[in-house]
This record gives sequence, C-alpha cells and structure tokens, in this order.
Amino acid sequence: MSAAAAQAPAGIAEVGIEREEHFTTDGQQVHAARFGMWCWLLTELLLFAGLFLCALIIRIMHPASVTATTTHLKFWIGATNTAVLIVSSFTMSGAIELSRIGWQRGTVRFMLATAALGTLFLVLKGYEYYQDFDEHMMPFLHGRRYALAQDPSTILFTDLYYVTTGLHGLHLTTGVSILLVMAWMASRPGFLQRHQNRIEIFGLYWHFIDLVWIIVFPVLYVLNR
Amino acid sequence: MTPPPDSLIGTIETALREPHPGRITIDREPDYLHDEHTLWSWLTTTDHKRIGILYLLSITAFFIVGAFAAGLIRLSLVVPNGQIFSNDTYNKLFTIHGVVMIWFFLIPSIPATFGNFIMPIMIGAKDVAFPRLNRTSWYIFVSASLFTLFTVVAGGVDTGWTFYAPFSTTFSNTWVVPALIGVIVVGFSSILTGLNFIVTIHTMRAPGMTWFRMPIFVWTMYAVSLIFLLATPVITMALILLVMERVFHIGVFDPALGGDPVLFEHLFWFYSHPAVYIMVLPGMGVISEIVPVFSQKRLFGYRFVAYASIGLASLTFFVWGHHMFVNGESETSALVFSVLSFAVAVPSAVKVYNWTATIYKGTLRLDTPMLYAMGYIGLFVVGGLTGLFLATLAIDEHVHDTYFVVAHFHYIMVGGTALAFLGGLHYWWPKFTGRLYPEAWGRLSAFLIFIGFNATFAPQFVLGYLGMPRRYHNYPPEFQLLNILSSSGSLVLALGYVFPMVYLGWSLRYGAKAPPNPWNAKGLEWTTASPPPKHNFETPPTVDFPPYDYRRRETRV
Amino acid sequence: MSGKDVNPGDFPLALWPPSASTEAVQSDHLILGFTVLTLLLTVPIFLAIAWFAVHFRAGKDVHREYSDKRNRLLEVSWMLVPFLLTLIFFYWGAKLFDIHKHPPADALRIEAIGRQWMWKFQHPGGQAEINDLHVPSGEPVMINMISQDVIHSLYLPALRVQMETLPGRYTQLWFTANRTGTFRLYCSEYCGTDHSRMGGLLTIMSPADYAQWLRQSGTSISLASQGRALFSSYGCSGCHGAGSAVRAPSLAGLYGSPVPMLAGGTVVADSGYIHDKILDPDRNLIAGYKQVMPAFKGVIPEDRIVLLTAYIKSLSPAGQDTQPGQAGPERTP
Ligand code: HEA
Ligand code: HEA
Ligand code: CUA
Ligand SMILES: [Cu+2]
Repeated sequence: MSAAAAQAPAGIAEVGIEREEHFTTDGQQVHAARFGMWCWLLTELLLFAGLFLCALIIRIMHPASVTATTTHLKFWIGATNTAVLIVSSFTMSGAIELSRIGWQRGTVRFMLATAALGTLFLVLKGYEYYQDFDEHMMPFLHGRRYALAQDPSTILFTDLYYVTTGLHGLHLTTGVSILLVMAWMASRPGFLQRHQNRIEIFGLYWHFIDLVWIIVFPVLYVLNR
Repeated sequence: MTPPPDSLIGTIETALREPHPGRITIDREPDYLHDEHTLWSWLTTTDHKRIGILYLLSITAFFIVGAFAAGLIRLSLVVPNGQIFSNDTYNKLFTIHGVVMIWFFLIPSIPATFGNFIMPIMIGAKDVAFPRLNRTSWYIFVSASLFTLFTVVAGGVDTGWTFYAPFSTTFSNTWVVPALIGVIVVGFSSILTGLNFIVTIHTMRAPGMTWFRMPIFVWTMYAVSLIFLLATPVITMALILLVMERVFHIGVFDPALGGDPVLFEHLFWFYSHPAVYIMVLPGMGVISEIVPVFSQKRLFGYRFVAYASIGLASLTFFVWGHHMFVNGESETSALVFSVLSFAVAVPSAVKVYNWTATIYKGTLRLDTPMLYAMGYIGLFVVGGLTGLFLATLAIDEHVHDTYFVVAHFHYIMVGGTALAFLGGLHYWWPKFTGRLYPEAWGRLSAFLIFIGFNATFAPQFVLGYLGMPRRYHNYPPEFQLLNILSSSGSLVLALGYVFPMVYLGWSLRYGAKAPPNPWNAKGLEWTTASPPPKHNFETPPTVDFPPYDYRRRETRV
Repeated sequence: MSGKDVNPGDFPLALWPPSASTEAVQSDHLILGFTVLTLLLTVPIFLAIAWFAVHFRAGKDVHREYSDKRNRLLEVSWMLVPFLLTLIFFYWGAKLFDIHKHPPADALRIEAIGRQWMWKFQHPGGQAEINDLHVPSGEPVMINMISQDVIHSLYLPALRVQMETLPGRYTQLWFTANRTGTFRLYCSEYCGTDHSRMGGLLTIMSPADYAQWLRQSGTSISLASQGRALFSSYGCSGCHGAGSAVRAPSLAGLYGSPVPMLAGGTVVADSGYIHDKILDPDRNLIAGYKQVMPAFKGVIPEDRIVLLTAYIKSLSPAGQDTQPGQAGPERTP
C-alpha cells in the first residue's frame, strides 16, 4: 500500500505502513488491524449496553422518579457537549483524510484540534459535575444532604448517571491521551510513512466514543423529560 | 533417553551442565524451545507457542490451588456437622474453589493454552494477528491471578462464585471487592485473547485454507472467541456495578434503594451461561481432533459439526433464565427458557453422534488421548442429559441448588472439559515438548481418573435428589454415607491427577524423542518439526486438501 | 412411615426421598420416565462405542469398506427424534410447574419470613413458629414469603418444591400434603455464614391434630388483630383512621381492589402493593392524593408488615373490622 510519493509539494510525506514480520502482505496487516479494532468496539458497545439496560429497567420500574431526576440534569450542557463531540468527529475525519494524502502538518493540526474538542467536552462535563455537587445531586457522598432524598429510586438513577458518564469520560480521557501522544509522534518525520494506518484505526475508536455519547445523551437527559 | 545417573545430586548436576542431552546441532532454525534460554526471553516473548506454554504453567498452578480447596471441601464433608472447619472457612473454601476453577482454570484452559499454541499452526500462520497484545493478555491474566491469590491469602471471600446481590453487596464482610476486581481484570485477558483469535482466523489463514478446510478445533476457537467478545463485557459491567454498589452504595441491585437483586442474576447469567459454552466448546474441539486421528478416519459430518459449534455459540445466549426458574421469574419466561434449553441439546447431540459414527469402521488405537476422548463422550453425555433434567421445570423446582446441580456441572466441566484438556495435553505433548510420554502410565491414570471421577460425583446425583442443598457445611446425618463415598472417590481422582503431573514432568527429560508426526495425524501442525521451529513453518504452507484427509489410507486397507 | 414421631435422621442411608403429596409422586414419575428415556438414548451410544473400540482395533482384519455417500435422513433423524422425545418431558414438566404456580383460591395461607439465619412462619390465627413448620394434610396450603435481608429459598424436599424468598418482593409456593409425617425443611439459596443451619422440620399433621396444635401454641390473637395494634402504634391510624385531619385515602375495602395511579392506569392492591406502599410510598404515586406519607423502610420489619397487611385485608368497605379472627383466604396474583 506504500504509495510512492511523487515529488510532491513541501510538507507532503510518503504514506504507508511498516510491515511486521508475521504478516505476509501489507493488505493483510491493514485488514487485521482494522478488523481487530471493530471487534474491540463491539465488546465496548456491549459493556455500555449493560448500563443502558439498567437505565431502561429503572425507567420502566420507576418512571416518576426518573422524570424527577432528569429534570435536574443540565440539559444544555449535555446538548453542547453533543455538538462538541460531533464536531470533533469531523476534525478527526479531517485528520484521517489529510494523513491519507500525506500532509503531515495538516494532519497534526487536525489531531490537535480533535484533542482540544475532547478536552473541551471534559471541561464542560467537569463543570456540570461541579454544579451537580453544588445542587446536592451527589447521593453517593454520604456525609452530604441529597436534593431528592425522599425517593430512593431517584438516587439509583442519579448514581447510574454518574457511572455511565464517568465510564464515558474515562474512555474520552484515554482517547485524548492517545491522541496527544500520537500527534506528537506524527509531528516527527517518517510517521506517516510507517504508521499512517494507526491514525485510521484510532479514528474508529474516536467515532465510537462519539457514538456512545450520542446514545447516552438521549437515554439519560432527553427521554422522559 | 539417557540412563539416569546413580545419585540425585548427579542428576541435577548433569541437568545443569548439559541442558539438552543428545541434541544434535543442525543449521536449521532453532525450535521455539531452544531459541533462547533465559527467563527474560520467556517473559518478553511474543511467540504464540511460548505464550501458550506460559499459560499452561499458570493454569496448572491454579488448578492445584482449586483442587486443594476441593480436597478440603471433601474432607470437611466427611462428617455431617462440620467440626473440621468453621462455617465461614467452609464458605470461603467453596467460593475460592469455584472462582479459581472457573475463572482461572477452566475458562482460559483450552483456549489460552492449546488455542494459542496450536490454532495458528493449524491454519498455517506464523503467529497470531497481534502477538504483543497476546503477551499483554497473559500479563493481565497473571496480575489478576496474583491479585486474587493475595485476596485468598489475606482474607478470603464467602459469596460463592455467583456473587449474588444483595448478599455480596451489603451483607458479606469479606474481601469481596478485591476478588471482584481480580475477576473483572481477568475478563479483559479473555476479551483480548478472543479478539486476537477472531482476527487471526479471519485474516491469517494460509493460502488455500478456506473456512471449510479448517479443523474443527479452529472452528470451536472461533465460536469461543465470539462468546468472549459478546458476553464478557456484560459480566464486566455487572461486576463493576457490584463494586460500585459495595463502595458507594449506588443501589442498582439494592431493593432498599429501588434497585433489583434479580437484575444482577440476569446480568450474571447472561454471561455465565454462555461461559459454560466457553468451557465446553474447546473441549469438543479437542475431541474432534483426537477421535479422527485415533480412528484413522475422517471426521463424520464435518460440516454439521462446524455449524453445530456456531449454533451452540448463538443459542447459548438465549437460555440464561434456566438458572432462575425458582426465583419468581414469570411463568412465561420460565417456559421459554426451558424449551430453549432443550433446543441447545440438538447441536450437542450432533457432535456426540458424529464422533460415534467416526469411530465406526475406523482403525482404532486406544492410546491415552483416545481413552480420555472416550471418557469425555460418556461423561459429557451424562452431564448434558442431567442438564436437560434441570431444564425440565418441575424437576428443577425440586433439585435446584442441590447436589444434583453440583453433580451436573462437575460431570460436564470435570468429566467433560477437564478430561478433554488432559486428552489434548497428551495428544499434543510431543508437539509441545518434542518428547513422548510413557504410554502405560498414561493409560493407567486415564482409568484412575475415570473411576475416581464417577465415584466422586455419581453419589452426588443421589444426594441431590434426596434433597441435600449445595453450599452446606452441616448436613443431616442420613446423608453421611453417600458423602463419605464421594470423598473417598475424590482420593482416587486426586491420585489420577497427580500421576500425569509426575510422568509428564519426567518425560521432559527422559521421554523418548518425538518424531514430527507420532500419531500419523493429518493437521498442519503435524507437518512441522516437534517441537516446531520458531516461525512454525520452514516454508509457508499451501493447503489443497480437506481436513482430516485420511481417505487415501482407508481405500488402501 | 407414619405418625409424627419418626425423625428423618433415623435412617442411615436413604436412596429415595419420601414424598408427601400427589404432585411429589408425579415429579418422581417424571424424573424416572426421563431417566428411562435417557438410558434408551445413551446406552446404545455407549455400547456402540465400546463395541467399535473392540471390533475395529487397529491390526484386526475386519471389513472397513464403506460408501462415502452420506445419509442425510439418518443424520437428521438421529438429532430430531431424540429431541422430540425429550420435548414430551418438557411438556410434562411444564404442566406440573403450571400446577405449582396456581394455588387454589381457598388455600390456607401461611406467611413465611426468611432472615439471616432463621425462618419465621406465621399462621393466620397469629401463631408464629421459628424454623419448624406445622401444616395440615389434605388441604391446600399456600406459603407467602418474603425476605428481610438477602435472598433465601424455602425448600421442602418431601414435596419436591422450593421457592426463593427475595428482599422486597413476595413469592409463593403451595402444596396439598397427602400424608402425615415429619420431614426436613431447608434454606437452599446460599445466604452467608449459617446458611447450612437455616432449616428445621416440616410436620404434616391430620387436620384435627393441626387444629389441636394451633390451640396449644401461643397466641390466640389473630394476625389481623395484632396488625390493628401495630396500625395505631406506628401512627398509621393518625392519618388513615376515620375523622383524621390529614387527607389520606381510607383503607377500608382497599385489599384486592384497583387503585388509580397518578401516572395513569390502575394497580390491584395485593399484599405486594401494600408492602411497597408502606415501606416506600413515593413509588407508584396514586391519583387524587398528595404524597405526604413517610417511608417506613428500615422502620417496620417484614413480619410486622405481614400483620399490618392482614389487618388492612380484614377491613371491610364499610370501614369496620369484620371478624378479625379469620383473615379470609387470599388469591395470589
Ligand atoms: C461446561 C459447563 C456446562 C455445560 C456445557 C452445561 C450444559 C447444559 N446445562 Fe448446565 N450448568 C453448569 C455448567 C454447564 N452446563 C454450571 C456450572 C451450572 C451451575 C451454576 C451454579 O449455579 O453454580 C449449571 C446449571 C444448570 C442449570 C440450572 C440448575 C439450577 O441451578 O437449578 C440448568 C437448568 O436448566 C442447566 C442446564 C443445562 C443444559 C440443558 C445443558 C445442555 O447444553 C446440555 C446439552 C448436552 C446433551 C443433551 C448431551 C448430548 C446429547 C445426546 C447424547 C443426544 C441425545 C439427546 C437429545 C437430542 C435430547 N445447567
Ligand atoms: C473447572 C471447574 C471445577 C473443577 C475442575 C472442580 C473439581 C472438583 N470439585 Fe468442584 N466446583 C466447581 C467447579 C469445579 N470443581 C464450581 C464452579 C463449584 C460451585 C462453587 C460455588 O458453589 O460457588 C464447585 C463446587 C464443588 C462442591 C460443592 C461445594 C458446596 O456446594 O458446598 C464440591 C463438593 O464435593 C466440589 C468438589 C470437587 C472435587 C472433588 C473436584 C475434583 O475434581 C478435584 C480433584 C482434586 C482433589 C480431589 C483434591 C486433591 C487432593 C488434596 C488437596 C489432598 C486432600 C484431599 C482429600 C482429603 C480428599 N466442587
Ligand atoms: Cu438462608 Cu440460605
Ligand atoms: Cu446455564
């Protein structure tokens, strides 16, 4: 797949992969890597599915208290964050496209932009948590009064909200860290020539994080509002 | 075979001086064992064969831990009123036994050892798709297992391997959280192994190795990996929620907070029922290799068996409710789960019948692996059919959570999978180590295990039907005789397990050198040297023959 | 083995459990029949394997020629026929199960509460016993149970039935014993340290003996009357009583009637509903009333909920206690 870079404009690098010894062809290695990431995403999806299932069951069992809880969630922060992540998916796709044509600087910039958007999401999320704390919406803090204490099942749903968003946040933090490391590596010469593939694979993961949030947002914030 | 020097010291001395007596140096690629010798080279290896051996050593260690707990359980049950251990100690013993045997022995047993070692060679690959990931999953396994061992030593857990809420979340005051973390982490090792296998089977097959030229063992590895990928994350989540519940009291399973303890049972069995197929499918794969070889005949109904593996892997996701017939589950769902459990019997039956038909008109050699395979078929059928008894609603209402269930699953897991594991170990031992094991000892211990096993667990069917509940440390005196019978059986069984450990170890040094294909078998793994060279094949193979290609021989007979 | 003096532990080696109801005998027939079928299905396989192993040993000169043509019909039928045969047992088992799930309306109702590590049984007349259970023979008995803490399971091997007791939810089990005698009773779901000691004896007595036993043992105050005392001591009567200042729904005639919900629809007020309403009134808000009732979770233990429920059940629509001595039989949902 190593596309020979015909004497291209400055800043355009050769694109390709470095083959590991146990693969016979480049195509095989690319296929294996992409397929592996899809498998990983499948398990991840099932991991979250367990949580969605719990959320669904709680909704069915205690519709009233779920409604009471959802009205306390910061809908606008959630909605902004959705937009932020969708934009970040576009910038990630941009990085991939640029890496395919071998424009190294552009690739790195788009990757950094994606990381910045991911960080923005985390900051907003942190602010939202802070507000929740302020409004006494953190039932797992035992020493502290809880705003909706009359009904135990709201505690349940609120806690599930923290577990779900926390797990998603963890994935996003991992994603941003990998992205930063990869951007640093990609800024050095020869990366695209040897590892362009990695950017593509990582792109799948990033879109997945985005997708999970797109499920989390309606399930937690919107339905039953 | 070198004649052993007279003294023990002498033995050790020659061993140190001359690590591989009689080995001739040739200018071929060194085999994977002799490539490098340092411990470091083993710990940093990415060679799937070495990783398989590392797994083999680790799960053997865990089997010993689990078996030791089993021994203590059987010891305690010799007397009805449990004077030997305190109640809490007994509860910790069976929890450790269950947790260790299931998560640290049986689930990784065949996939992580034989799967890692043999499967890539069977499809003609140089390695698995992600060798470094493979090593990582071994390290994850080891750290999880050491962590769990630490838990056992430090405090113990008393929830049973099923971790039912709310007992595990609020009422138990043992080391539940560390044990759960150990199990969660080991799950990631399974997921990564499964992922690696699926990608390997999809992308790394040698030229000409089409799907229907793959040996059944590869098919079962594929099916198992699917279950690893699809079911393990669910239990991971369920156990994470348990940890959260215990630490922060978030209440998903706590009725006091509006949660539902039955929800945990659903999530648990949604994984753990498929997990029983993680345990049994690889065993079926091993048997499907052994039976044709020792009958010198191709596997009967190859395609049906391959489809049955995938069929089992899919059906298994829809029967979890049969563990919950008596917990207030609605009658309709009980009926549905019951009939689906009966349906699971069909693909299992395919395999049993096809093995039998393979033996018919074959040229049989009753060597150790074949003895294990025949034992497997018998015990698996008993275990499977008693599974159908349990799936029958009115019977389960009586024997649920009694020793009948204990006997059922030991018949399948020990009589089935553990025998398949031993059979596979003997079958591939020449390939793993380049040595032959002493055949007479092999047969003797196969017999001992078969007899000891039945003596241990057959009485438990009776105990269960009489109504002895499981996880009982004090039991009514009228059950004592049967329990003594069971415990004495376990002594024979223990002997049967000790023998292979001894003579296989012995054969490492003194066993005769193995030819590349001692069994006249047809898989690709037997076309390489014993032990295989570092990169498996001197020249990458091309496949233009069906699996189990014994036909040509047969016509000659 | 008749009479109540026989101790189940008197027999050093039992090979078949005693049975004490017609359903139990049917369960035995079911498993015996299934065993016979199993033997029919497997013994041929085992014999075939053994015979092949001997007959086709390597080195023996036997006829090994066979055609490569596959007999699909044979292959499909050896899968399908056993499967269809086993389905007979599925059906049989399901039918028995169905019987076990539908107690007759006039069953004698006994309340059971499981807690670490003892059973408490409450008879309608108010008699309570710990770990042991006395029931009359020849009449249907329904045990309505709940757990105070973790999951337990009430297991009566002589009747071939068991049922888990869950925290916060009622489950039922019923049987009609057809003989007298003493049998064992266990907790079969693992519940912690003394799980294996959480059991006792089930004594099945003739109806006359049972009546005699009821008279002899303890309280003659019925469950409903005990519940009435609790009703005022927990302050329930302060709001729900006639003429109270707080606008709370009257409980007269509540039991078994549909209650309109705030979220729409109605829910039938059975013991599970009343249980949840007492412990956790914020759940299932009812239409027409403001939710002001405090939650009694952690305040009222399960055995007292049973008493309160019995009292509420005894309230007739007119608001008067009707025969507090006999809480009428109840149909289960
Ligand atoms: C490797 C593990 C393994 C396997 C493969 C199985 C296989 C099966 N199991 Fe088992 N089971 C366990 C491990 C396993 N089980 C464990 C560990 C538990 C207890 C968990 C706990 O609570 O701790 C358990 C518990 C368990 C229960 C719950 C019991 C209870 O707690 O009340 C039930 C109920 O339905 C059940 C059913 C079955 C069935 C129907 C099969 C079927 O898949 C069997 C199919 C096989 C055959 C039927 C035999 C071969 C076929 C023929 C010879 C052909 C002729 C027959 C026909 C065509 C019908 N099992
Ligand atoms: C792979 C799975 C696996 C394997 C291989 C085994 C192997 C054995 N198991 Fe296992 N067992 C389980 C999985 C397994 N078990 C599970 C999942 C449970 C449920 C746990 C739970 O309820 O949570 C269970 C529960 C269980 C019980 C029920 C405990 C109870 O409910 O109270 C018993 C009782 O006899 C038992 C016995 C044995 C025996 C004798 C062996 C033998 O095959 C082991 C052979 C080894 C020996 C026999 C011991 C070696 C000898 C010594 C250490 C010296 C001392 C020996 C004596 C004095 C006899 N097991
Ligand atoms: Cu209560 Cu076991
Ligand atoms: Cu199951």
